[in-house]
Amino acid sequence: MNILTSVPVAIGLIVGILLCIVLFKYANRDHKAKTDYDERQKNLRNNAYRYAFYTIVIYEAIMIILDMGSVSLPMEHFLLHFGAIIAGGIVQVGYSIWNDVYWGLNNDRKKYYIIFLVIFILNAIPIIGSLLRGGMIVDGKLSTPFLNVLCEILILAVIIELFIKSLVDRREDQEA
Amino acid sequence: MKNLKLKAARAGRDLSQDDLAKICGVSRQTISAIEKGDYNPTINLCISICKALDKTLDELFWE
Repeated sequence: MNILTSVPVAIGLIVGILLCIVLFKYANRDHKAKTDYDERQKNLRNNAYRYAFYTIVIYEAIMIILDMGSVSLPMEHFLLHFGAIIAGGIVQVGYSIWNDVYWGLNNDRKKYYIIFLVIFILNAIPIIGSLLRGGMIVDGKLSTPFLNVLCEILILAVIIELFIKSLVDRREDQEA
Repeated sequence: MKNLKLKAARAGRDLSQDDLAKICGVSRQTISAIEKGDYNPTINLCISICKALDKTLDELFWE
């Protein structure tokens, strides 16, 4: 990635972060950007962050070993590092969902699902654009639009896990 | 160990887990975890629960 492509990506990231703050303020019932959690949720979320940290460390260690061995993967370097963020995110979110600590006390779930849909669509646009232009592979390597594919993987992981967890909870409630 | 005294006190006041959770400012799953014995609440939360159910700490949390 050169300066001509890294600047728009950096601007995109900043706009994305600002957009997230605005959306979270809209999605929380008290219109605070910060989500509130109770004491049990905070304890378990600490574990979630710890496991996410371990995931990122292991992932990056593997990348370092591959790099030292001059193993070339068919994707740009920045995508490999972005993969670490996504892997850590999936672990953090997955642990939180399965331990009932994903949703905070002030979250409006319906509005969050709308946000997921908006983010999913926003990420789909560059993917579709790149596919129409001939694909994501440039010089034999996956290029920038694959960032959006990784984001879509994270969003889909969240939605699928939330759906499965709701089915499990429903079954447990019926048995109780 | 299950906290049946808490469950009975809550049911006695005709409150759902969700109702009690809202009064105490915690999630429904946290109340459920306390009743199932999966989570040991802090003294602050114990006091909130006792106040909400008009019980003493001894009545709800002492074995």
